[in-house]
Amino acid sequence: MGKRYEIPLGAQHISLLEPLHFKFTTENEKIIDTVANVYYVHRGIEQACCSKFKFRQVSFVVGRVCGLCSISHTTAYSQVAEKLVKIEIPRRAKYLRMLVIELDRIHSHLLCLSHVAENSGFEALFMKTMQYREFSMELLEAICGNRIQYDFSIVGGVARDLKPQVGMQILERLKIFKLQLDELVDIYQNNWTLSLKNKGAGAITKEDAMRLNVVGPFARAAGLAMDVRNETEDLLPWKEVGFEMITDTAGDVHARNMVRLRELYVSMRMIENIINGLPESAIITETKAFPDGEAVIRLEAPRGELFYYAKGNKTQILERLKIKAPTFSNVSAMVEAFKGNEYGSVPAIIASYDPCLSCTSR
Amino acid sequence: MNRIETSIDNIKTDIRKFYNPVLHHFMVVNAVDFGNTIEVQWFFCDYAPPCAITVFCTQIQPEIEIPSIVDIVASAWVAEAELVDLMNIRIENTAKGFVLEPDFESGPLRKKK
Repeated sequence: MGKRYEIPLGAQHISLLEPLHFKFTTENEKIIDTVANVYYVHRGIEQACCSKFKFRQVSFVVGRVCGLCSISHTTAYSQVAEKLVKIEIPRRAKYLRMLVIELDRIHSHLLCLSHVAENSGFEALFMKTMQYREFSMELLEAICGNRIQYDFSIVGGVARDLKPQVGMQILERLKIFKLQLDELVDIYQNNWTLSLKNKGAGAITKEDAMRLNVVGPFARAAGLAMDVRNETEDLLPWKEVGFEMITDTAGDVHARNMVRLRELYVSMRMIENIINGLPESAIITETKAFPDGEAVIRLEAPRGELFYYAKGNKTQILERLKIKAPTFSNVSAMVEAFKGNEYGSVPAIIASYDPCLSCTSR
Repeated sequence: MNRIETSIDNIKTDIRKFYNPVLHHFMVVNAVDFGNTIEVQWFFCDYAPPCAITVFCTQIQPEIEIPSIVDIVASAWVAEAELVDLMNIRIENTAKGFVLEPDFESGPLRKKK
């Protein structure tokens, strides 16, 4: 038996983007145990949504739960509120929500990939990935008016329509991005140093993914074919615009990279189909009803299943709002997947989890 | 949403009978404060489409300790630890302090009396 060391990492650390803390117990550089603390930024958003804001204002509040997947939160909340007031939104609004969600997925996945590259010691690839990501931020600004925190989905539909020239601009930029993505896939897949660092690192099996209820690309990279877009057709017609499930089997950092990259091709295809088949209709359904009863919604955010529970009481203020973010579901597996790995692989493994503690702690 | 009303005495037995990690995905434990009672809800979802959601519900008095389901669903400890801090309820083998700092107001999601 080698000498054991306890090594703290975080809550602020050069390789961490998020305020989380791990305590690793290592033996001969191998991690044998991990303790995690993920709650440094509790902001009381659920309580604020049920006491300080009217239910129509809440979609703007939950947009602040996370900067990266703001559209997922505002859409999930809007959907759960629409269930409570019993309205169906126009078909064009559904398509526009899917458009922004998929563009958001592109920028979120590229951000994650860039940080895996950076934490693996590949600074040039980090910069190249971030450079290629820029187009998605510009397009989101063109559609929503903001690069992050879009306030695009509102109760009843969406806040803005898509201008035809912006639609054309998106299609043109996607053609350029397709070539850039091919280049990125080649590097992430075939670069010898990156593969050496990432293959086998932070792996979990499909059985562990099921046992620990893992969600998102983390689960799909381990072979667990779980994607809310494959399941819920009633609220947003994902399959109609070309959704396809992407999975891998290795369950390691490399597999997570490849799942995210291949999902970008699916997102691009869906965006093209959305713009080419955008229905003509209004973008909002008006109602004067107050929320009543209880409802739940699941939505596939870039990091996985986002869950919203809401309970109304026929007043403007909700009785209860519960938000379960994807990273929340992945905390147990994050702790498990470190075991048996070299301590030097920790930064790349953490980045490959794509953790969002802002969402988790809310 | 398939809602199953149960009791605090039967909750573990009911979840143990229902939950199969190959078929079901555990989502979260939630609680709603009704003033004198609290409704605790355990949410599960099928993996296979149409992915029906099943929720086990039970009404408890705030001072009652509820059983942990960690021996059935290994990943449930995070949701249980959050509930203990945010709703100020007692869950078997779950200490306070995972979500909130010790000097923070306990149970911020509880109704103010």
